[in-house]
Amino acid sequence: MSRFHKHDVAKAQLQTAVSMFLEGRDRSSVVTLAGAASGILDALVRCSGKEAFLDYARRVRQELSGQTPKRSAYSHHINTLLGVIAHKHLWEEDSDTIELDLEEQAAGALSRAIADYISLNGQDEPFVKAFLSWSWRNQDGPGLMEKFKQAPKRLKPR
Amino acid sequence: MSVKTYTRFELAENQLTSAIGLFVSGRDRFSVMTLAGAADVLLSRLVMNQGRENFTQLLAKSETEKAGTPVAVAAHGRAINDLLFINQLKHMDDGDDAFIDLDPEECALAAISKALVNYVALAGDQKDIVLAFKGWAWRNLDPTKYSVHGPARTDTSGDEA
Repeated sequence: MSRFHKHDVAKAQLQTAVSMFLEGRDRSSVVTLAGAASGILDALVRCSGKEAFLDYARRVRQELSGQTPKRSAYSHHINTLLGVIAHKHLWEEDSDTIELDLEEQAAGALSRAIADYISLNGQDEPFVKAFLSWSWRNQDGPGLMEKFKQAPKRLKPR
Repeated sequence: MSVKTYTRFELAENQLTSAIGLFVSGRDRFSVMTLAGAADVLLSRLVMNQGRENFTQLLAKSETEKAGTPVAVAAHGRAINDLLFINQLKHMDDGDDAFIDLDPEECALAAISKALVNYVALAGDQKDIVLAFKGWAWRNLDPTKYSVHGPARTDTSGDEA
């Protein structure tokens, strides 16, 4: 029996998820591991007094629609969009099949978890750099940075 | 965008395959537990959807017979998942203790074993991941502790014992 801090549990799962993603391995596993890491990192970011990804997303939603969604409901909404729910829950009334874009969802689930990880630890660790480098090359990093610069301050992370 | 249709069984099988791959190659045990735990949720439901009893239901039935009083399946399932720290590895609430005490090796082994019971109920015991895990268990686990049986062998020597 050994003692572990939940930060280390989240980090280990996120490292595995990034490694599997960059090696082109199973996307379902990437979604689940990144989702699990986020479930812990979200609380740790808030404990540190910083703005978690979920709260930033709620703030953006508020700016765009004028309504701030409830935290738990929006968390469930994002987890559904990213495919996290479909990989860890199944109810009797659910269909036998489901349509998913696993490539997009794996990248999205990793982006969310990495955002919270960076809030806590910065972006100098190799696995973080590796994912950011992939994202820059494959998700139009320069274009996104241009949009980010032009966005009003109220739409930027705190 | 590349939307594809997946069966629920595929989602479970892929996660369990990853869990076993990570486990037998000595990689992160927390990832193994989370993947096996997620796969098991899907597999448990799929077994029930076939009108059969899943691992948790069979265990609850056995406990009921032993105790002589009914053991609730849902509560029993939660107790098993708590024992394996499945929820602790994917969730943290405000005010939760940030530390957990566990044996990652034992929990990872148990999480895979539990999911495999349901997987075998659906897919049989001759699939690659089942044989791979059984082979690993036979070579690595203490048979006196885990009652592991070796694979059936065909005697090709021509000698009789």
